[in-house]
Amino acid sequence: MTPLKTVGHGTHRIDALQRVTGAAKYTSDLHLSGMLYARVLRSPHPHARIRKIDVSKAMALPGVKAILTHENCDTTWSSGDQLNQRKLFNNPVRFAGDPVAAIAAVDRHIAEDATHLIEVEYEVLPFLTDLEEALKPGAVAIHEGGNLSLNNQRQPVPQTYKRGNVADGLKAADHVFEDNFTSAHHNNAQLEMRVSVAEWSGDKLTVHAATQGIANCRTDIAKDLKLNVDNVRVISEYMGGGFGNKNQCQDSDLMAALLAKQAGAPVKLEFTRKEDFVAVHGRWSSRQSYKVGVKNDGTLTAIQFTALSGAGAYRKGSCDLSGTEIYQVPNLETSVSPVYTNTAVAANYRAPAYPQAVFGIESLMDDVAYALKMDPMEFRLKNMTRKFRDQTPYTSIGLEDCIRKGAEKFGWNQRWKPVAGSGDGPVKRGAGMAMGMFGSGLGRSSAVLRLDGQGQYHLHVGVTDVGTAAKTTMGLIAAEELGVPLEKVKVVWGDTDTCPYSVGESGSRTTVQTGMAVIEAVRDLKKQVAEKGAPKGNDVYTAMATTNPPPIQGASRNSFAAHFAEVEVNIETGHAIVTRFVSAHDSGRVVNPLTAQSQVQGGAIQGIGMALHEELLYDKRSGQPLNAGYYGARIMTHLDAPLVDVVWVETDEPYGPFGAKTLGEPTIIPTVAAVANAIHNAIGRRVKSLPITRDKILQALAKKGDVA
Amino acid sequence: MRSFSNVNPKSLKEATSVLKQKGQAAAIVGGGSDALGMVKERLITPDVLVSLKSIRGLDKVTEKGGEVVIGGLITLDALSRDPLIRKNYNVLAEAAGKVGTPQIRNAGTLAGNVCQRPWCWYYRNGFPCFKNGGNTCFSITGENEFHAIFGGGPSFIVHPSDTAPALVALDAKFRIVGPSGERTIAAADFFQLPSVNPARENALANDEVLAEIHLPAAKAGARGTYHKEMDREAWTHAVVSVAVVMEMDGQLCKTARVVLGGVAPIPWRVPKVEAMLAGKRITPELAAQAGAAAVEGARPLAKNQYKVPLTQAVVKQTLMALGG
Amino acid sequence: MKKISRRRFVEGTSAGIVAVAAVPAVQAQQKTPPAAAEPATTTGANPSVPRTTIKINVNGVDRRVEVEDRWTLVELLRDHLQLTGTKIGCDRGECGACTVLVDGTPLYSCSQLAVWMNGRSITTVEGLAKNGKLDPLQEAFIEHDAPQCGYCTSGQLMIAKALLMKNAHPTRDEVRTAMTGNLCRCSNYNHYVEAVMAAGGTAPATGGGNAA
Repeated sequence: MTPLKTVGHGTHRIDALQRVTGAAKYTSDLHLSGMLYARVLRSPHPHARIRKIDVSKAMALPGVKAILTHENCDTTWSSGDQLNQRKLFNNPVRFAGDPVAAIAAVDRHIAEDATHLIEVEYEVLPFLTDLEEALKPGAVAIHEGGNLSLNNQRQPVPQTYKRGNVADGLKAADHVFEDNFTSAHHNNAQLEMRVSVAEWSGDKLTVHAATQGIANCRTDIAKDLKLNVDNVRVISEYMGGGFGNKNQCQDSDLMAALLAKQAGAPVKLEFTRKEDFVAVHGRWSSRQSYKVGVKNDGTLTAIQFTALSGAGAYRKGSCDLSGTEIYQVPNLETSVSPVYTNTAVAANYRAPAYPQAVFGIESLMDDVAYALKMDPMEFRLKNMTRKFRDQTPYTSIGLEDCIRKGAEKFGWNQRWKPVAGSGDGPVKRGAGMAMGMFGSGLGRSSAVLRLDGQGQYHLHVGVTDVGTAAKTTMGLIAAEELGVPLEKVKVVWGDTDTCPYSVGESGSRTTVQTGMAVIEAVRDLKKQVAEKGAPKGNDVYTAMATTNPPPIQGASRNSFAAHFAEVEVNIETGHAIVTRFVSAHDSGRVVNPLTAQSQVQGGAIQGIGMALHEELLYDKRSGQPLNAGYYGARIMTHLDAPLVDVVWVETDEPYGPFGAKTLGEPTIIPTVAAVANAIHNAIGRRVKSLPITRDKILQALAKKGDVA
Repeated sequence: MRSFSNVNPKSLKEATSVLKQKGQAAAIVGGGSDALGMVKERLITPDVLVSLKSIRGLDKVTEKGGEVVIGGLITLDALSRDPLIRKNYNVLAEAAGKVGTPQIRNAGTLAGNVCQRPWCWYYRNGFPCFKNGGNTCFSITGENEFHAIFGGGPSFIVHPSDTAPALVALDAKFRIVGPSGERTIAAADFFQLPSVNPARENALANDEVLAEIHLPAAKAGARGTYHKEMDREAWTHAVVSVAVVMEMDGQLCKTARVVLGGVAPIPWRVPKVEAMLAGKRITPELAAQAGAAAVEGARPLAKNQYKVPLTQAVVKQTLMALGG
Repeated sequence: MKKISRRRFVEGTSAGIVAVAAVPAVQAQQKTPPAAAEPATTTGANPSVPRTTIKINVNGVDRRVEVEDRWTLVELLRDHLQLTGTKIGCDRGECGACTVLVDGTPLYSCSQLAVWMNGRSITTVEGLAKNGKLDPLQEAFIEHDAPQCGYCTSGQLMIAKALLMKNAHPTRDEVRTAMTGNLCRCSNYNHYVEAVMAAGGTAPATGGGNAA
């Protein structure tokens, strides 16, 4: 790969200064003249019909200016449920935390006091917290059509994929392995709590939204509020993380807008941390079953994968589970059934369908390797994917190098123990690894590039930069294509009035999709300069580009990764800690190694938290969440986080801006499985349920067997 | 937050007088973090917060006639760093140093930590349990992963304090000041089992303040340590902990105090283990026997059986580390 | 390592260093008045709520403010003194985003009432840069890409500042232990620690990115 001038060199974030001086204005930092504060009243019941709401006492509290309930607000929240089953205020309410009212007042304390004055009469309904219970005949139907969520064609069938014939494949196997795995619902837990600020100016609505996609947020708001999209402006200059829970528009955006309209004043609607855990969304839980057929020499003959995924009370996310694609196998059947329960909703959280599924398949494949007395690394090198779904070539694939170079950096041969659980003393060390992949397709996005008479470029892109340094990345791509230093490119972002469509920072698509639009805009502008000469004085040249490349014919574009973990487990106390971690990534060309390293280290540490700590725990008898919040979730602290070494495998990728492939989400995909496999290597027992907490480790050791 | 007024009394007399006057409508605040969190959650709904920060002189460590007197309002950070405490009462310095985080220790007080309400998630989420004025305990048939294996019933909370087991191990006495006078009771008598009153964890009345903690003169050859097992590396309450003080005579342990945290509604002294160690050398075998003895009579619930081997291991490992 | 010239890009941005020391640059949507020594007025809320007038020094400026007894310190700073650099991540003392220095001691400002701060001196992130010059910690945070989303950054800066004031050359473990009360969900812990160590002179001054 030829080195480039600007792209590929570690560069500070262009907005780092704002972030380290407190000057960056996040949505909750806004104080508009006459601004009201709003809070939401939520159902205390997991499933109930609202018989009566009396808001009179709340409205009578001095300082209260507006209120919404299902009685005066029928608005649908279309991005809150893929099947359009969700309004802002639902009746019946379907989880403890489902909104019942939103109230705006002159200060937040009055708004909070007012929520306590709203009187609601509920008819409590039977509720469900367990996936398998939800599918039993006679279980209360959470939505029309039952608790197996309908697919996009509104059929109550699982999401399936098939190639070859699994029954034949299993017959052809020398050994068949079967096992089950579960994973818990856990939260994005980004530092910035949900907040929306809305103000009207005549017919024009401005929403200051903490969103990952200002363009999508805008079209969603226009759609749900039945407004002309030209009359909606979305601004998100800085936002404090989301990892997928700030895509599109959220109910808080719509509620704030409607309250602002009613009150005739701007409204800031704030969630508490508990609300952010319970009433936004988290990663869907899973119950996974596998059957794997393998030959004596370790060749895979078949994989059968059946699973339930926990949608929660609404179908906000795809609820898919994706892990088997990393293996080459002629016969594969997968079936995933999203199931409703009266619990917190599940939707996008950093590679939504992946780390929990990879935990399942990679734990099992690890067991297969041990059973065949093969080094788990060799087993993976033998069986790893070489073509997408065994038929379509990859545009570029560096998975083998990820495994080999990652293993070398990690010291796999020194750290992995051929006999799991061996070693003296109560403190045992062990090593584990896992592989992962993530689609990096091309898609539509836009960019606008201006050149002024002073030679300064202005790049307008609709990114908000959830923390990925997307603004800097776009600037670097433009600078590279222009052949100028980054300082010459001023990036303008975060406002639909001044920025064109960007896909939004989800699916790890910004670098690729918006990056390509940026390159097109540069080429267009260069043409203009070639034709007209450079602009002078007050002249400004503008180039607008929308790229919407067709799907790549005959090739599949993906990023790849291999993660390696070493853990130390005290088998008397069950205490486990990750002592060493290596992340090896093929994301094509790395545009900005400095910020990319942050992404990789961050994803790994988040993944370790998912492996060891995090679960939103429900009390089964009452349907109440018990541990919503940072303390309850045991989010990773400075002392929990190991040093994460990053190994870049930069493949020569023919597509994408300078060959860049997706990075943000792959960073967490193999992590959880690597940690789980390391624990198994350390103690000789497998915990097959996430999170792998102390009590499960001690149980596995006491039982002298695995723990489901 | 629900509204309240804050008063800054200048003396304990003034503070307890306000408490008596206001009754249930008042709540005392030491460092403030715990109380404020409970007000925000509406677990308590005081109309008046009585902030003890304005009372001077309640935060010192002084030697008085052989005893060491610690003002209840000393911050956990100051306590963990105090040279006298570190030298002669190390178990307490270590316990204080393991509470929360640096920021929490900079504000939180010793008295506040000792009087901290439970972190049982049923209580904290407002379930109508004994601690919230109800007449049941939801953990018994619910999510009791972190609840008691000793001394439980009718409530099965575990006492959340780190300093409390250390103080019991040090035979501390508590000087309690109320509107009509004061009393001094042994730490061991301060903490009360739920069988006494399931709504409370200690003997402090609503209008009383834990003003001072008295430690007896340190014995020659005394050493102590506080071991805390947590479910992440910091910033959580003990899953299981142990405070150990040993009076050493050369290689022999003359006397020992062993007090468990995270296993019972009160700091859980284990006299049987203490008796086993008296006059003996701490060998790996003895430590292992002590660990086994420590969990005799444990009555785990459906989901906290793991606390039994954990407690056993913690006692064994800590005895070896301190006395081996 | 390709560096952008910080001086030039500061001049080119609207919220530059000048804005940091005083009040953030007034933008179209903000119409709040500059901080002054008069009592800050409230937003016309419930008059029967108990209030107290307090004297407080914030980033070197003496203020006399009338506060509701129930206002937390962080609320006073953010909503009434226009100092929005300090963030609220949980409002329960469980994340550290709201860390400020009170008489040089780091505390969670969400867990302190404003009325308890009478007579105290508060330092927030806006008070770190002096006379338009960034604190070495701020420089190091930029150099080592410490902020990702940036929401925990102010808190991490303040706790790191408190550490370096007591221990100018901390080891890696001392940094992690001192900062353990500050969560970063982007989980950029490795870079934060590198940055603090660099500011303390115990680690390389230039940031990584091209791992072997």
